Amino acid sequence: MFHRVATVLLRIIPVLIVVSVSTAVLIELVPGDPAVAVVGAEGTPEQYAAVRENLGLDRPWFARYLDWLNGLLHGDLGKTLVPPIQDVSTLIATRLPVTLEIAVLSVLLALAISIPVGTWSAYRYGRAFDRVASGLSFALISVPSFLLALILIYFAVFRPEAVKGLILAACVIATVVLAAATVGRRGAQLTAQGRRGVRLFALGVFAVGFVLAAFLPDFPRQGFARIGEDGLAENLRTIFLPVLVLGLAESAQLTRLLRSDMATTLNDDFVLASRAQGMPVRHILVKEALRPSTFSLVTVAGISFGRLLGGTVIVETIFRLPGMGTLIVESVAKKEFMVLQAAVLVVAALYVLVNALVDISYLYLDPRTRHVRV
Amino acid sequence: MSVSERIEEPTRDDERSSAVGTHPPVHPERRSPPIKVWFRHLGLWLSVGWLAVEIIAAIFADFLPLAEGRNPSLTLDAPILQPPQILSGHPLGTDRQGLDILSGVIYGARTSLVVGFGAVFLGVVVGGVLGLTAGYYRGKVDAGLNFLNDALLAFPPLIFLLALSSVVRPNLENVTLVLGVLAIPAFFRLTRANTMAYSQRNFVLAARALGARSSRILARELTPNVLASTLAYAFVVVAVLIVAESSLSFLGLSIQRPEPTWGNMIASGQNDLEKHPHLVFVPGVVLFLTVLSLNRIGDWAQRRWDPRSRKL
Repeated sequence: MFHRVATVLLRIIPVLIVVSVSTAVLIELVPGDPAVAVVGAEGTPEQYAAVRENLGLDRPWFARYLDWLNGLLHGDLGKTLVPPIQDVSTLIATRLPVTLEIAVLSVLLALAISIPVGTWSAYRYGRAFDRVASGLSFALISVPSFLLALILIYFAVFRPEAVKGLILAACVIATVVLAAATVGRRGAQLTAQGRRGVRLFALGVFAVGFVLAAFLPDFPRQGFARIGEDGLAENLRTIFLPVLVLGLAESAQLTRLLRSDMATTLNDDFVLASRAQGMPVRHILVKEALRPSTFSLVTVAGISFGRLLGGTVIVETIFRLPGMGTLIVESVAKKEFMVLQAAVLVVAALYVLVNALVDISYLYLDPRTRHVRV
Repeated sequence: MSVSERIEEPTRDDERSSAVGTHPPVHPERRSPPIKVWFRHLGLWLSVGWLAVEIIAAIFADFLPLAEGRNPSLTLDAPILQPPQILSGHPLGTDRQGLDILSGVIYGARTSLVVGFGAVFLGVVVGGVLGLTAGYYRGKVDAGLNFLNDALLAFPPLIFLLALSSVVRPNLENVTLVLGVLAIPAFFRLTRANTMAYSQRNFVLAARALGARSSRILARELTPNVLASTLAYAFVVVAVLIVAESSLSFLGLSIQRPEPTWGNMIASGQNDLEKHPHLVFVPGVVLFLTVLSLNRIGDWAQRRWDPRSRKL
C-alpha cells in the first residue's frame, strides 16, 4: 500500500517538468516584449538594450528556463519583470488563497448537493423525484457558467425580493409534497415512526426556508473581502455567488454520474441480500451502496477540483476576484515570464497532486485495488 | 413545458425495480400506443425543431426582413434600449447602439453553428483518420500519435487560446480552426479505442483472409463501424464547442463587436443588466436552448448508436 502511494506521488515530477518547459516555449511564441513596458514609449534604443540585458531577455529561452529552475531549486521564484516590481512568491501568496477557498467550497457544495440527490434519484429510478432531478441537472449542464453567473447576479443582487419569494414558494411546495406523502394510501405504506420522521423533516424544511428568506443578506455584485481584513462573515458574503455558480455547475454533472453508478450498484446481489435480511433503506443506501458507487464521482470531483484550482477565468472576471486565473491571463498578456512560470507550476502541481490523491482514494474505496500489482 | 419532460426515461429492466423498488415492475415500452411514444419523445422532437429553425434562420439571415443588427452606423435613428415587444419592428428589443437583437441573435447563430459544427467536422476528420491509423496499425505509429495526443491534452487550453489569440486575428475561420484542433484529442481517443476493439473481430479477419489490403479494411470494414459511435458523440462536442466559443467571445477573445455573436452580445449587455436585462437574457436563452437541444439529441444519439452507453 505504501509502495503504491509512493509510486503515485513519484509520477508527479516528470509531468511538472514537461508542463514548465512547454510554458517556457509557449511564452516565447507570444509576441511583445516586457522591456518595452519597462522603458516606456520615450526610451532610446540604448536604454531598451540595457533593460533587455538587465532582465536577461537577450539570452535564449532555455538559458532563462535553466536560471529559473536553478532559482526554484533554491527556493527563489524571482521578481516580476515589469514594475511594480515585487517578489513572485508574495504575488502568488496573495492570489492562491482566493482560488483555493473558492475551489474547496465549490466542490464541497457540489458534493453536498449531488450525493443526496443522486442517491435518492437512483433509489427512485424513473419516478417523479428522479425525473425532476434529472431534468434539472440536464438543464443545468446546458447553462454556460458565465450565463449562470449573470442570472444569479441579476436575481440575487438586483431582485432580492424575487429570490426570497422563490425560496418561500419552493419550501412551501416541498413541505406540502412531503406532508402529502404521510397521509392516505401512500402514508399507509410507512410505519408510524416513518410518518412522524417525514413530518418532522417537512417541518424542518419549512423552518429553514422561512429563516433563509427572512435573513437573506445582500450580496455584492463583485469584489472580494479577505478573511484577515474584513472577517469571516464579510468574506463568505463576497464569495457566496461565485461559489454557488461553480458549485451548481459541478453538482449537475456529479449528480448524473452518481445516479447512474448507484442504479447499477442497487442491482447487485449484495443489495438484494441486505434487503432480504430486512435492513432499512437508509442503511442500504448510505452504509452499503454508496461507497462502491462513488468511483466516477470521486474521479470527476477530483478532476474538477483540480480544474478549479487553476482559477476559473470567467467567474473571476465577472466577480472581479483576485485569483490565479486572472493572474495567469495578465502574465500571458504582459509576457511576465517569471510570474507565468511560477503560477503555472503551482497550478499544475496542485492539479497533479489532487489527481494523485484521487488515485490513492481508490485504495480506500475498493479494497480489491490494494493488492493489484502495477 | 417543464424540463423534466425533456428527459427520455431510459429503458428500465425488470431486475432493477424488483431489486430495490417497493412497487411492482411496470413495462411502459410494451404495447404502448404510438401517440404515447411520440409524447415521450416530445423533448427530442422539440430539440430537433428548435435546431432546424435556427439553422434555417442562420442560412437565410440575409433574406429575412430583419432590422439592422450588425452595423451601428445605420441605426442612428433607431430606438435604443427598447425592451422586447413582439409586434414592433424590433420584436426582441434593441441594444445601447440601437442594433436589433433578433437580427443579432440570428447572425450570432450563424457564427455559433459554423464554429460548432465546423470545428467538430475538423476534429472528426483529423482525429478520426489518426485514430483509425493508430488503432489499426498499433506499434510505433500508435505510440508516437499517443504521445502527441497526450501533450495536446495536458496543455492548459486557456493559455493555448490566449497565446494564439495574440498571434492570429480572431475571425470566423481562425476560431473554428483553433477549437477544431482542441477537439481532435477527444475524437482521436474515441476512434482509436473503437478501432482497436473492432480490428480484433472476426469480420476483419475474414476480410483479410479474402485478401483485402489494409486500406480496404480500414475504409470499408472499420470506418462504417467506428463512425456511428464517433458521430453519436459528436453532438455533445458541438454543444461543448458552442459554449467554448461563446465563453471566448464573452471574454473578448473571439469575434469582435459589432459583428454579433451570442457571447459578445451578452458581454456588451452585462453592464446594463440591472435596468435592461433583455440585453443579456435574450441571447442567453437562445444559447441555452441551443446547447440543451444539442445535449438532448446527443444523449439520444449515444443511446441509439453507441453500444457502450446503452446501459444507462
